[in-house]
Amino acid sequence: MKKINVIGLGNVLFGDEGFGVEAVRLLERKCAASMPDVRFIDGGTQGIYLLDYIESADSLLIFDAIIPAEYDREVYVYRDDELPAFIHRKMSSHQMGLSELLSVARLHGKVPSSIVLVGIPPKNLELGGGLSPAAERLLSEAVEEGRSILEAWTEDRVEKQ
Amino acid sequence: MAEKIVVDPIPRIEGHLRIEAKLGENNVIEDAFSSGTMWRGIEIILKGRDPRDAWAFAERICGVCTTVHALASVRCVEDALGIEVPPNGRIIRNLMNATQQTQDHLVHFYHLHALDWVDVVSALKADPKQASAIAQAISPWPKSSVGYFKDLQQRLVGFVESGQLGIFSNGYWGHSAYKLPAEVNLIAVAHYLEALEFQKEIVKIHTVFGGKNPHPNYLVGGMACAIDPNRNTAINIETLSMVRRIIDETITFIDQVYIPDLIAIAGFYKDWLYGGGLGNYLSYGDFPEQSVHDASSLLWPRGAILDKDLSTVHDVDPRDMNQVTEEVSHSWYTYANGDEKGLHPWEGETSPKYTGPKPPFEHLDTEKKYSWLKTPRWKDNPMEVGPLARVLLQYAKNDPMITETVNAVLGKLEVGPEALFSTLGRTAARGIECKQTAGFMRHFYDQLIENVKTGDYRTADTRLWDPSRWPKDAKGFGYTEAPRGALGHWIHIRDGKIEDYQIVVPSTWNASPRDSKGEVGAYESALRGTPMADPEKPLEILRTVHSFDPCLACASHVLDMNGEEITRVTIV
Repeated sequence: MKKINVIGLGNVLFGDEGFGVEAVRLLERKCAASMPDVRFIDGGTQGIYLLDYIESADSLLIFDAIIPAEYDREVYVYRDDELPAFIHRKMSSHQMGLSELLSVARLHGKVPSSIVLVGIPPKNLELGGGLSPAAERLLSEAVEEGRSILEAWTEDRVEKQ
Repeated sequence: MAEKIVVDPIPRIEGHLRIEAKLGENNVIEDAFSSGTMWRGIEIILKGRDPRDAWAFAERICGVCTTVHALASVRCVEDALGIEVPPNGRIIRNLMNATQQTQDHLVHFYHLHALDWVDVVSALKADPKQASAIAQAISPWPKSSVGYFKDLQQRLVGFVESGQLGIFSNGYWGHSAYKLPAEVNLIAVAHYLEALEFQKEIVKIHTVFGGKNPHPNYLVGGMACAIDPNRNTAINIETLSMVRRIIDETITFIDQVYIPDLIAIAGFYKDWLYGGGLGNYLSYGDFPEQSVHDASSLLWPRGAILDKDLSTVHDVDPRDMNQVTEEVSHSWYTYANGDEKGLHPWEGETSPKYTGPKPPFEHLDTEKKYSWLKTPRWKDNPMEVGPLARVLLQYAKNDPMITETVNAVLGKLEVGPEALFSTLGRTAARGIECKQTAGFMRHFYDQLIENVKTGDYRTADTRLWDPSRWPKDAKGFGYTEAPRGALGHWIHIRDGKIEDYQIVVPSTWNASPRDSKGEVGAYESALRGTPMADPEKPLEILRTVHSFDPCLACASHVLDMNGEEITRVTIV
């Protein structure tokens, strides 16, 4: 059976930097009951400690705050090869960002066959206070995007069985 | 004018750390300045909150230190309220803490620090046959065949040729300060990857006892997990036997991979004994066998060593208002009654006031304030905290296991105890300690089983859960030895809410700026006198700074879709 993991990245203490974590929590509340096999992971800023959740997935959905190359949308969705090869998010003690984790997974030969990143650019990174009103407004849109991705994956899974 | 090197940020570490080093003759570091460039304001976030929730906020301060902040936090609240954790709660916390130490040291050595000594690209030139022979000579570890190393080397070649070095993209490959033969480099890279695989296993122990991972659950009064050998929904025989298996594998990995690698690598660098630094060491101690308030029951002793004098271990009392203090003469904060006077954390103030240059900037005005880190001092002394401090304290107190292991490692390397006061000594101490904490994992596991066998399934004491039973006004101190050193949380509770909360983290001790007397901090001291082979590639600075396992605040890092350079090394 295909394994689906959803990881939210970021630090909830720093405003919109916590977007990914808030998104995975909301998506879990909405979908956990109907998708019992999907794993929802509050990844925080755990870097290298998230390797297992990446390598153990066949399909991986990631929520994160991002800085896009061009500001042309509100919610950004990147799939597989669209993910930049070098993503310099330094999130753990061992400075393992997503790109490094994926490169390790590649070296181990354990890269998920589908990876989707859903993100929004942060408006406010101030300490405390939670998401900005702008990020709060985009949260449900991003989570709906995530839900439809999960639905496609789980339907796909049923078809293949 | 002297050359000044700026390394900002130091690659492969948490948060933002900036080192400015002034070079003297022959490219020897004359002076160094350590600056934390991100503000960490957890104290302000916690004000007014429920003390029972503090741990959940505290564990988000840092990317890796989640469990240690949670532990120090619940301990400080329990201390304030007079709560004694039942034996299972204490033992499980010790077991989780030992697990954290062991995993963190392993990850630090292979994934943060090893690449300061190991040249990945050189491994491509290794002879797999010779690598196999060396590996088999130093360890019985089974993954050591010629085919194993050949296969790994081929994968590595493919990886490098793809142009996406990823994890290995920040190295100074080919630097003349790398001394290992190609074959030892290949062995180390093999174990780098094996350790990455293995560390995934170790944390399963946190999932068992903390309910989930990352971010396991803690609880004021004990632990939130239920133990019942006969119930499926609780921690039972099956889960405990999995824990036992992981502990056994961990001990084997450390004995057969980590320690032999450490000795093999150190053997090629034993004339590089720079980076000793202050010679002052501090530990709060940890791993209580009885009450956490009884310092005499700690397996890791509490104490201080001054000026490398191992004949005297000084008593340390973190509650004494004159011992642990923080001043802000060189930090971007103000104190109501003067920045030069050190304040004990129970009187601590967190009033940020940035007076540095507007970023981006070329360099800091190190004559004035230059860091977001405060300057902690013990009885006015700058102190180093971390594995070297803890190992030296145990060595000074003749702990049998530590003394035997330290002497064995020194003997194999054919160096005397003075070699411990160095960057390499710090790195060796971490390995020695990792062996010890893996042993602690088994020790606490056995203790837990013994205690559960008596029919005691209690993991928490929640009689004082309700704030109506609390004193109106209470102060508490909570501590732990985090993998990177002494961590203290000081709380003041009033009317059921947090009135004040101060945290002094290990990296603040080690990375502290100068104090009002001009005395330097541990990094600053350790970097002085180090010769640099190539100032444009400051490998030697990284080596020494990484040896402390620095961990500054988890800053707000945002995903960069433009793939920008992260390491700015400039000569100004």
